[in-house]
Amino acid sequence: MSEKVKTIAEVVKTIPDGAHIALGGFAIARNNISVAHELIRQQKKNLTLSQSVVGLENDLLVGAGLVKRLIMGGGSLDRFGPVHCVNRAREASRDFAHDYSSLSITFRYLAGALGISFIPIKCLLASEILERLEAGSASKEDVSRMKCPFTGEEYLLMRALNPDVSFVHVQRADRDGNSQIDGPIWSNEESVKAGNRIIITTEELVPTEVIRREPARTIIPGHRVEAVVHQPFGGHPTGVFGCYDFDAEHLKLYVNHSKKAETFPEYLKTYVTGTKDHWEYLEKVGGLKRMDELKAIQIQGY
Amino acid sequence: MSDVPVRPTEIMAAAGSRELHDGEVAVVGIGLPQVTCVLAKRTHAPTLTALLEIGVINMDPKDTPVGLADSRSFYRATCWSGFLDIMGMNLHRGVVDVGFLGALEIDRYGNINTTLLKDESGKVRYFNGSAGGNDVASLAKRVMMILRHDKRKLLNAVAHLTSPGFVGGKSRKELNLRGGGPHRVITDKAVLGFDSATRSATLLSLHPGIQLDDVVAHTGFALQIPNPVPLTPLPTAEELRLLREEIDPKNVYLG
Repeated sequence: MSEKVKTIAEVVKTIPDGAHIALGGFAIARNNISVAHELIRQQKKNLTLSQSVVGLENDLLVGAGLVKRLIMGGGSLDRFGPVHCVNRAREASRDFAHDYSSLSITFRYLAGALGISFIPIKCLLASEILERLEAGSASKEDVSRMKCPFTGEEYLLMRALNPDVSFVHVQRADRDGNSQIDGPIWSNEESVKAGNRIIITTEELVPTEVIRREPARTIIPGHRVEAVVHQPFGGHPTGVFGCYDFDAEHLKLYVNHSKKAETFPEYLKTYVTGTKDHWEYLEKVGGLKRMDELKAIQIQGY
Repeated sequence: MSDVPVRPTEIMAAAGSRELHDGEVAVVGIGLPQVTCVLAKRTHAPTLTALLEIGVINMDPKDTPVGLADSRSFYRATCWSGFLDIMGMNLHRGVVDVGFLGALEIDRYGNINTTLLKDESGKVRYFNGSAGGNDVASLAKRVMMILRHDKRKLLNAVAHLTSPGFVGGKSRKELNLRGGGPHRVITDKAVLGFDSATRSATLLSLHPGIQLDDVVAHTGFALQIPNPVPLTPLPTAEELRLLREEIDPKNVYLG
């Protein structure tokens, strides 16, 4: 039986240019920063990213110029500000992003996860979001309309989303890939199980016995998982419930650099391409001392 | 505490709270909507259920969250789930009575723009997009909008129709939308409703101290105005105490 446990660099190496990737974060919660950084280090190009609520991980990749298309339900960095790089890319080209809503993206992933080719929904109707999808490059490929054959009610139909690779950052997983998530899970289960390949990054790598004690917490069973990467603080500077809070100082620093296209490369050079891996990045943002300050108080989760 | 005069945000929270009924189910975002729900729960609506789209039911935060993605907003919830539960099996299923939405712009029919703004030269700037906004606007039984009263926010035509109200003045049935649509707009100057015949925004009450021509000057579309114009009730002493001492003592959202 082959070993599933890999390094970030190893798994990212297997991702081809042009791949459709789902990362699994929500704004400033449980983003897959270690993967986003490594995609930038390895300069993977022409990527399609899909996400129900975009956040830092998407902004990084778009800012680094690696993304050809973004399929998104919306997003921001909560009170820290907008996703400036994403918004600039949307301003530069009207066809860069396919805008949806949180629920419609989740339904597209659900269809993908169930192996059905389309799914009906009662959102997006009568909105300009749908007008743009129907008029643009999404038109025949991704959206259509139908009257329910049983009730006659008008529905929007959406094509299933099946990312080439779905990532998710979790609190714990075992060496077989059985993955447990603590706290709310937004669209994680759907986006992961819709993926043709599933790769987990985890804060803690635990013995299977730990998983067997609380099997109801296992969101992704190991048999679906291709690889597991053990990366503590893999979500920094976003927050991971039960593990650490978001890093407010670093998020402010990020937003200050991402406000203008001219200052963004400096951020990437300092924190991403100028570091050889996530461990070196963590040292650069304050190391053990900073991580200890951010570490969650167990009873609160932050 | 009682020396500090009542602030517009407090009038808004109390007005919003009055619109919520015991036993109802509400989808809220962080900020004034959540403050409003907590106020309602602590006063006349103890069994009001608050849902956060990220996958949280009936949270009880002790520290003020910066947004939905902040772990502080998950604290002591009665349930943690995900989008499919909250936005699917509750909202899409038709169980949600009230949705609270913010906006960059709205028009007279309660159509909401959270996607982009155009300046005079036609240059476009993008913002957050829909997230759960379009879903809530499409499916909640009624929608409450909360925003600052400004001519650039309440206008004749939104730059982009992200989340539908009564599009083109049409009925929700004609629009194939299941949710009941816009119900109230709560601003720092007034409370607006929607005329059942014309589906166009009407002035329901002016906040104390606000002049009618101030509201008209700050509204970019023709507002239906009753005669006389009622006054928005001020928060009660107990509501003020709850807001200032317990719900948002650091004035993160009320300040």
